[in-house]
Amino acid sequence: MRSPFRPDDVPDPAILDNHRPLIKSFERRGLIRRGLSLGALVMLTGCDVKRPEAVESALLAISRFNDEVQALLFDPNKLAPTYPASMILKPPKFNAYYDVMDVKPVNGATWRLELSGLIADRRPWTIQDLQALPQRTIVIKHICVEGWSYIGGWTGVPLRTFLQHVGADLRAKYVAFKTADDYPSSIDMASALHPQTLLATEYAGETLADPFGYPMRLRTAVKLGYKNPKWVTAIEVTNKYPGGYWESRGFSWFAGL
Amino acid sequence: MDKSGQSRGSPKEGAVRTRTLSLAASFIAVSCIAHAQSATPGGMPPPPGMNLAESAAMRFPQPVRVGDLLHRTVLQPVESQNVLGTVREVVRTGSGTIEIVIDFGGFLGFGTRPIAVPVDAMVLLGQDMEVVAFTPQQLRKFPTFSPTGTTPVPNDTIIKVGLAKPSH
Repeated sequence: MRSPFRPDDVPDPAILDNHRPLIKSFERRGLIRRGLSLGALVMLTGCDVKRPEAVESALLAISRFNDEVQALLFDPNKLAPTYPASMILKPPKFNAYYDVMDVKPVNGATWRLELSGLIADRRPWTIQDLQALPQRTIVIKHICVEGWSYIGGWTGVPLRTFLQHVGADLRAKYVAFKTADDYPSSIDMASALHPQTLLATEYAGETLADPFGYPMRLRTAVKLGYKNPKWVTAIEVTNKYPGGYWESRGFSWFAGL
Repeated sequence: MDKSGQSRGSPKEGAVRTRTLSLAASFIAVSCIAHAQSATPGGMPPPPGMNLAESAAMRFPQPVRVGDLLHRTVLQPVESQNVLGTVREVVRTGSGTIEIVIDFGGFLGFGTRPIAVPVDAMVLLGQDMEVVAFTPQQLRKFPTFSPTGTTPVPNDTIIKVGLAKPSH
């Protein structure tokens, strides 16, 4: 019987003839066995699976390849979905690589944002300096690599505006962050210049609370949650790969959404 | 299927297969590493010898509207995040402490009963709440909540509740 799903425009049957030897070589069970296994990994890289570090470096090479593909696919003009202010979760969800009891609040009065790397004006910034720049509010979803998400409302200066203001080299590859909780992070310049990437100082119209990164954190709608460092103390613009806390533990670096 | 079948094909076909495998392998990599985040589970019980108020104060209590707490799922702070119940209402006891009334336990709505848990024994976990200071075994021994001697806290009241990081 003719399938009801058969398309009107079918491929040229000559394709099958051209690939006859290949089709003959199909072995269904072989496919299943090789499909997803360490054996496949060995074929892929020629590495010895008995050495865990060889497996790890193979997986990391794959992860870097995926990062490059994601960077190629990234559309700097495409906006992430936004939501009405009524959907903002108050307070936001806390997360860190340690428990909330170990949060060390930062003194906003003495806090300074240090700048380094390919930036013309590297004078440190106070919180008031940051808030004097044009502000933007976005209501976006925070999506964690662990599978949970929530909708949050963030206000701050767009990172693009800030980088332009301090004369950063916008052709550089990376924008790197250092934080008070020793959670280094970095993003690609295209994502840094995205209109939904902020140096956030407010949540739901209120000053950012201590556990969520007071006085300033990165908040970008185009990356997974772990690419949003809290309690940021320094920004560097660089062409040298800066890595990050989870990235050095095997998480993918690009982590785009 | 046909991508993997190209194992004996030309080098170009091999590259297609390589990419398929690399995506699959990277999924394995991510799922393994995600467990790294469980090194310090959230929702730790209060340290020994510390009373509920003191331990709650260490969890950075945040303002939250009482109406926003209603119907929230209440979880056990373990990796499997077992559901303990849902928030029914918030009350103030005669002594002034705030308690969260939870529709606790049961199965498919049968056998569920309300219990009142001090707010300082609980934390906010995003859209959910957790009971950090009592185990499910202890909660089972809680008396069924009776509104006598308590006053409901209006929805627009702002109370402070501590935080925890996810337990998974």
